[in-house]
Amino acid sequence: MVNLAAMVWRRLLRKRWVLALVFGLSLVYFLSSTFKQEERAVRDRNLLQVQDHDQPILWKVQFNLGNSSRPSNQCRNSIQGKHLITDELGYVCERKHLLVNGCCNVHVPSTKQYCCDGCLSSGCCSAYEHCVSCCLQPNKQLLLERFLNRAAVAFQNLFMAVEDHFELCLAKCRTSSQSVQHENTYRDPIAKYCYGESPPELFPA
Amino acid sequence: MTMKLVNIWLLLLVVLLCGKKHLGDRLEKKSFERTPCPGCSHLTLKVEFSSTVVEYEYIVAFNGYFTAKARNSFISSALKSSEIDNWRIIPRNNPSSDYPSDFEVIQIKEKQKAGLLTLEDHPNIKRVTPQRKVFRSLKYAECEYRDPRLICVPDPLVPCNETRWSQKWQSSRPLRRASLSLGSGFWHATGRHSSRRLLRAIPRQVAQTLQADVLWQMGYTGANVRVAVFDTGLSEKHPHFKNVKERTNWTNERTLDDGLGHGTFVAGVIASMRECQGFAPDAELHIFRVFTNNQVSYTSWFLDAFNYAILKKIDVLNLSIGGPDFMDHPFVDKVWELTANNVIMVSAIGNDGPLYGTLNNPADQMDVIGVGGIDFEDNIARFSSRGMTTWELPGGYGRVKPDIVTYGAGVRGSGVKGGCRALSGTSVASPVVAGAVTLLVSTVQKRELVNPASMKQALIASARRLPGVNMFEQGHGKLDLLRAYQILNSYKPQASLSPSYIDLTECPYMWPYCSQPIYYGGMPTIVNVTILNGMGVTGRIVDKPDWQPYLPQNGDNIEVAFSYSSVLWPWSGYLAISISVTKKAASWEGTAQGHVMITVASPAEGESKNGAEQTSTVKLPIKVKIIPAPPRSKRVLWDQYHNLRYPPGYFPRDNLRMKNDPLDWNGDHIHTNFRDMYQHLRSMGYFVEVLGSPFTCFDANQYGTLLMVDSEEEYFPEEVAKLRRDVDNGLSLIVFSDWYNTSVMRKVKFYDENTRQWWMPDTGGANIPALNELLSVWNMAFSDGLYEGDFTLANHDMYYASGCSIAKFPEDGIVITQTFKDQGLEVLKQETAVVENVPILGLYQIPAEGGGRIVLYGDSNCLDDSHRQKDCFWLLDALLQYTSYGVTPPSLSHSGNRQRPPSGAGSVTPERMEGEWARGCSAEGNWRKPDSRLLQEIVGPPRTWSQLAVPLIIFLPDCRRKSSQWLCPAEGAVHPCTEWTFAEGLMCQLLPLLSPYSSQRPRSHLHRYSKVLEAHLGGPAPRALPACPHLSWAKPQPLNETAPSNLWKHQKLLSIDLDKVVLPNFRSNRPQVRPLSPGESGAWDIPGGGGQDNSCFGLSGSHHGIMPGRYNQEVGQTIPVFAFLGAMVVLAFFVVQINKAKSRPKRRKPRVKRPQLMQQVHPPKTPSV
Repeated sequence: MVNLAAMVWRRLLRKRWVLALVFGLSLVYFLSSTFKQEERAVRDRNLLQVQDHDQPILWKVQFNLGNSSRPSNQCRNSIQGKHLITDELGYVCERKHLLVNGCCNVHVPSTKQYCCDGCLSSGCCSAYEHCVSCCLQPNKQLLLERFLNRAAVAFQNLFMAVEDHFELCLAKCRTSSQSVQHENTYRDPIAKYCYGESPPELFPA
Repeated sequence: MTMKLVNIWLLLLVVLLCGKKHLGDRLEKKSFERTPCPGCSHLTLKVEFSSTVVEYEYIVAFNGYFTAKARNSFISSALKSSEIDNWRIIPRNNPSSDYPSDFEVIQIKEKQKAGLLTLEDHPNIKRVTPQRKVFRSLKYAECEYRDPRLICVPDPLVPCNETRWSQKWQSSRPLRRASLSLGSGFWHATGRHSSRRLLRAIPRQVAQTLQADVLWQMGYTGANVRVAVFDTGLSEKHPHFKNVKERTNWTNERTLDDGLGHGTFVAGVIASMRECQGFAPDAELHIFRVFTNNQVSYTSWFLDAFNYAILKKIDVLNLSIGGPDFMDHPFVDKVWELTANNVIMVSAIGNDGPLYGTLNNPADQMDVIGVGGIDFEDNIARFSSRGMTTWELPGGYGRVKPDIVTYGAGVRGSGVKGGCRALSGTSVASPVVAGAVTLLVSTVQKRELVNPASMKQALIASARRLPGVNMFEQGHGKLDLLRAYQILNSYKPQASLSPSYIDLTECPYMWPYCSQPIYYGGMPTIVNVTILNGMGVTGRIVDKPDWQPYLPQNGDNIEVAFSYSSVLWPWSGYLAISISVTKKAASWEGTAQGHVMITVASPAEGESKNGAEQTSTVKLPIKVKIIPAPPRSKRVLWDQYHNLRYPPGYFPRDNLRMKNDPLDWNGDHIHTNFRDMYQHLRSMGYFVEVLGSPFTCFDANQYGTLLMVDSEEEYFPEEVAKLRRDVDNGLSLIVFSDWYNTSVMRKVKFYDENTRQWWMPDTGGANIPALNELLSVWNMAFSDGLYEGDFTLANHDMYYASGCSIAKFPEDGIVITQTFKDQGLEVLKQETAVVENVPILGLYQIPAEGGGRIVLYGDSNCLDDSHRQKDCFWLLDALLQYTSYGVTPPSLSHSGNRQRPPSGAGSVTPERMEGEWARGCSAEGNWRKPDSRLLQEIVGPPRTWSQLAVPLIIFLPDCRRKSSQWLCPAEGAVHPCTEWTFAEGLMCQLLPLLSPYSSQRPRSHLHRYSKVLEAHLGGPAPRALPACPHLSWAKPQPLNETAPSNLWKHQKLLSIDLDKVVLPNFRSNRPQVRPLSPGESGAWDIPGGGGQDNSCFGLSGSHHGIMPGRYNQEVGQTIPVFAFLGAMVVLAFFVVQINKAKSRPKRRKPRVKRPQLMQQVHPPKTPSV
């Protein structure tokens, strides 16, 4: 083994051209990698931005018809509410009427399905939970599809990750860059949660 | 010969490496200058190289490795041949001098040329080069002001301290959410207590310092925890990260990479897996790029990015950013929404220390873990923001923040392209906590127990208190990772309080409460306690909190009132406790104790029963010191009610020279930016109370002096009347005013990039028109002049920074004048003029029997901590002597500067500023193009802008067109509006509507932010006087028990016995990570034998320190693979060489003789280079 190495050494590595070759290759590599790093900083690899503006985004939202496709009797819900909560079937209830499985207790009279209380005709609501519930109405599907097809570029990140009607409504109803003017004030401080296509109408400060 | 080849190789390697390194340094330099550096930096770091030839010294390089003796003989034989005697070999004292070397440094003092030639002719000498000295210097560039956000790069054309008055006020840091790290300012980081000590030179591995390795050894590395970094991005194939799940960009720049290094560093502290290790290398990293390379970011970007974070079910989110605008409702609401969705938010408290009142949002929110910075010697870092929150002013009292502190000075983290660097700032401290939290989350078996509240509870309950630091600086103390682990892993859902006890006697932790005992008749002391509820995102306080005084400990001598959040959401709420002394203890002295019990309820989780609740009861011990009420003359009342600040309005800085900090945003409270003044007054024996309500709400007979400093608010007519009566009855008044000049106010407006609108000041430094109305009954007024200058008063050096003068003062008063520069002229016209006899100080005794005294002074900067150059506490002492005891200070009354009081003739008192009707357009006739989209929405497409240039531009953005009507909800009225054409139509249609506005009195839009004014058809008018705050004292439920004297120890933990939770045996052999040697690359893990590679560097670098330790900068750039290949070839050579050395002596000659052999025998085939 050692003999072999020694032989290689003597025969090959002691030749000047071999060393020059190794050096040359190293130098080429060094230079190319240095320049490549610079280039990489400039190059743009953002999935959000390489999108062609004319092409509609490829959303993957599944609008399930009915609740038959739900795997179990567990519900996802809107989690965050101070007083209210909306489950994925579109029921709005008070937090204390939430069942262990995450669904609203439908036997309580105050629980309502597809509740649009406080929502304007523009598609903006004063309560987030009502916005989600209203948005879950099956007849809103067309509106949502239309919205998805022309979703603003900045929203593609968000709406391409959305998987179904409920997630879409959760995401759509949140306040977003469309909800503000002058960055630090709401366009409409009251009806600020919108499932519709247009941003909240500008309301004076 | 092979030796020669090796030499060549080594040289090439070294040259290439050095080249690379120099490249790295250049990059480094660039990145320093652009490093996000809020809070630091009047210091700029510059790395410079220079080299000079050292006279008479030469490096002689040989074509092989020879012993010192051999080298000596070569050189001497060469030089002897050219008859040079005056030479010597410069000794090199380093470990490598024992080994053969291929060079020598010599000094030749004569016939150098000939000498060099003969040297070069010597067969064993390869070449001779002059010796060079390399200087690598770190330079600080110093600037006059500190811009906390941008590192200040000195421009050779514009000296930093040159004052330029231009419209381009730098868009302010306070407006802007800034990333919170300090360049490389580890030298800034000395805490107050260690200002003369040297910091330990080597920044530490922060994860090991906090004993994260104990948890690593237990197998916890942050796996399955989603952690989001909202910052400047991260490059794609950064060698430090193994689990970058996703990178998204939310800015308008088309890149995902980090061009600043801030985001890389932050991500590295959280999750780097090599070199400078992070806490949770296996955590799923989600990189959100929300800052551009120019450090621009908008609320709207954050909103969209936050929505995505919620959708992605992020567990831990680090925000090393912050800004002072806690009234940015869309942003604040969104942060609440995130925590409500179970995202643990960790944020940096800000780099605006050591000034108080400098907390940044969102770290100041109750549901966010706000992190302050300390250095490695446990001193609070100077830059760390501190002081109470200012949301609650003027009526309430601020909450305790930061929540915890951790290492934030000189912490090592990942560099942009690999390697490590050290950074300072609370944006470094924040990811330390975020990383620790990520690691902690991964240790918890029952993940559903982890939520923003329980995590915060665990962190603050386990934190270690730093001695000698108050709670408004350190919060609950220093992060203790292992104790937090223990607490979290035996956690049961419960509520807890922050602070967990109220001991108003405990100094210094409970400063400022401990600095002034309470007494009967004083303003109630308010403690704002935060309730953390780990049971659920919403909760409520059951019934009311109970007040249970301890009778044996005089608990019945105090009264307690509560106000609290009706709903605890998200995960938190407040409980404000007002403490007052009962009448029966009016002349009693001693301490009183008791406790408050509160029960918090949340909807039960996992309970089948409908509407079930889980509850948690918490005890809050209270201890106060009571003294008899001090005499009236000793009591000073601070007017907080009439101090307004940013946010919400633009209230400009009181010192106009501080161009980079244009906003008055520290709260103007005696416990924020008037803290030094408060401390001084306390040390002089005065008792200072705070008035958070109108003048109609205090009993003037209790107080000697009402202190009004830098007031921006208007006054209710009732207040003006009441104050007059009070002064007639013996209350004294001290007013420290500030500048107000409408032309200057227009000049200091600026376009705020962040809100994309023009900002016009709502008042000057103070609201002089309002003050003049208040003072008019005494025939006093301030002017609209603006003066600046140094002067001497009563043998004290004073500085008048942007103050006004007294325009009018009663004949029989004392008035002091000075000679100043007219700063107004300087600001407006860039001209300098000196004005003599500017009246700045006036003292006046109300002539009526028992009347009070009034003192006016034109500048408040000498009391304010924010930009104070020279304090005037001595003057305040003298003035209080005058107001409290009627002693006219002789130094003032007999001053040579005393002049006749001004009658008001000749000087102008300012009128209120006209309002600006439109955001984005100005009232002064010259149009700045406003937000065109907005304009078009309202008035249709513009024809030419000049058509709008009418004297008073009237343009109502607040009106929107609705069918055929203009709806102006500001006035609450609907005005008819038919079709109109653009310019004329606008005027003719809107003018009738606005006619009330264009009547007599000019207005400001101060009414938007004022508690006194409201918008009215006829212009802003005073509101109805609000009712004075009424406290309903809680009904005491006396207990016959006693409390321990030290409340802290008994309240520290969450009913968890720490000793029960056992950690697996701690292994103290910490670092698994081998400390890096300078210049070593970390791009791959060099196997055990890699040490030899370092020796290569050592040989060439040992000589003059050309490669100094590179701590504090990038340590080792990624060295490309070529170096590795080269090194392997060299290694192979050595192996062969050793192999030869082993085999040869057997056959040939004894080894000792080898050098001689080499010296004599020069194989002819050796190639010479």
